[in-house]
Amino acid sequence: MSRVLLFLSVLSVLVVSSCIKDDFVEDFVQPQIRISSVIDTLGVDSIFTVNATFFNNVGANEEVNFDWTSSDESIITVSNEGVARGVSEGDAMITASYLDPATNEEIASTVNFTVGKAILPPPMMDPLQVKEGIIETTTFYALTGDFTFSETEDGGIDIDIASNYRADTRLPGLYIYLSNNKNSIANAREISEVTTFNGAHSYNVPNVGFDDYSFIVYFCKPFNVKVGEATL
Amino acid sequence: MKKALTLLLLFAFSLTSLQAGGPWPQKKGKAYIKLSEWWTVFDTHFVGSGEEEPNSTTGIYNTTLYGEYGITDRLTGIVNAPILSRNFMNNIVSRTTDEIITPGEAINTIGDIDLGLKYGLNKPGSKVPMALTLTFGIPTGETAGGEQKNLQTGDGEFNQMLQYDIGTGLNLGKTVSGYVSGHLGFNNRSEGFSEEVRYGVEFGVGLAAEKLWLVGKLTGSESLKNGDTSSAITSTSIFANNSEFTNLGVELNYYITKKLGISASATDIIRGEIIANSPAYSVGVFVDLGKE
Repeated sequence: MSRVLLFLSVLSVLVVSSCIKDDFVEDFVQPQIRISSVIDTLGVDSIFTVNATFFNNVGANEEVNFDWTSSDESIITVSNEGVARGVSEGDAMITASYLDPATNEEIASTVNFTVGKAILPPPMMDPLQVKEGIIETTTFYALTGDFTFSETEDGGIDIDIASNYRADTRLPGLYIYLSNNKNSIANAREISEVTTFNGAHSYNVPNVGFDDYSFIVYFCKPFNVKVGEATL
Repeated sequence: MKKALTLLLLFAFSLTSLQAGGPWPQKKGKAYIKLSEWWTVFDTHFVGSGEEEPNSTTGIYNTTLYGEYGITDRLTGIVNAPILSRNFMNNIVSRTTDEIITPGEAINTIGDIDLGLKYGLNKPGSKVPMALTLTFGIPTGETAGGEQKNLQTGDGEFNQMLQYDIGTGLNLGKTVSGYVSGHLGFNNRSEGFSEEVRYGVEFGVGLAAEKLWLVGKLTGSESLKNGDTSSAITSTSIFANNSEFTNLGVELNYYITKKLGISASATDIIRGEIIANSPAYSVGVFVDLGKE
């Protein structure tokens, strides 16, 4: 009987020891600032608010207070809130910078401005932007294909995947995301479960800026494993 | 796919050998009962091409009650019941921030129960006994547990497996006995899962007046790949449909008394497709009421 009790004790230890532990993901990315709204020409005495976004060391969008500077305040000035004002005709640069406490590095991004006539012209309507790329597998599972990534008039984006797209049908729980971190979907935008494994198809993602994300990533969701990626 | 777990449960099932299992039915009124803990923890798996890929760490622990009872000298009833099946997945944690990206989860439920009947094809005491076993896999386990529906203790699929066993006792010397056996089975599955061919060979050596048995075995499963694809089945486990494997295992059984014994085993996968890549272990205590 004592041996049976010993066995049951061992069994209990085994079950109890099967507790949840941690799997670590190498998810560091270089922090960056993206300036997303610019105009070609700012009029003298006109103002324009420059929009900047900080993405931290895991690619997450983080609200921070930027330091705004002008390379030549005789041409253009910029306030602490990023409001630029044309002073005189010429070219100058505006820089948004931030001392990232996580990395102790100063992150900066710069945009060129031309200050022209006294009246701010209406911003030109840029044609909808489009870029192309290639989806590549990151595992032994087949996953490949060309795509185009394009702005839509309603403020979203379309991802049109070409007819040469192929994905392994043995992939369970495959999802597609937009992310700023190739190795993590922690702050990613989930687009959809993948249901097409061969040929052309499309995804429409509303309320996403053209420059909001840097990567398309494919994850096997049940097992938190990346299986494919594309750089935007 | 779900059959995933069943594959693993069948690993455990196949570990119950020696005086139980094989082509040897229990004698009428005799029984063999085993309580065991079987587990595997894996952070890689075999993909469809047979290559290895990482996955978040997943573990399965089954506390299983296995029993055989001789209804007649040639007909034995079999129950393999994972009375507690625990499936967990680790936390996914950012190396950069130490923050949890995806919380780990665990479920504890009953697993899929196998009910079977083994029929001896020749008379008890035959030199080369043969048996047919019909096993029904009852989907009593959980198929999509946890907040993210990623955890399984069963496959949700009712399957029927017919298995042919053959074996013979070996006289290896004055104090050493042994046996060799083999089996071939066909697993008919439902819910879009592919059928499977199961096979195995086993070699056992009895030492110390048959108090200690050492067993080596090779088991495997080949999918006919005639079901749905892994992506088409609502599966949350790595044990997807169309899984295949070949295992090598060793087992030790020791009779503490005439009828009470303990066992331990280790099995490793040497080839696989769409299945966990990790060794599995088992420890157990058994009562062999058929031993004379």
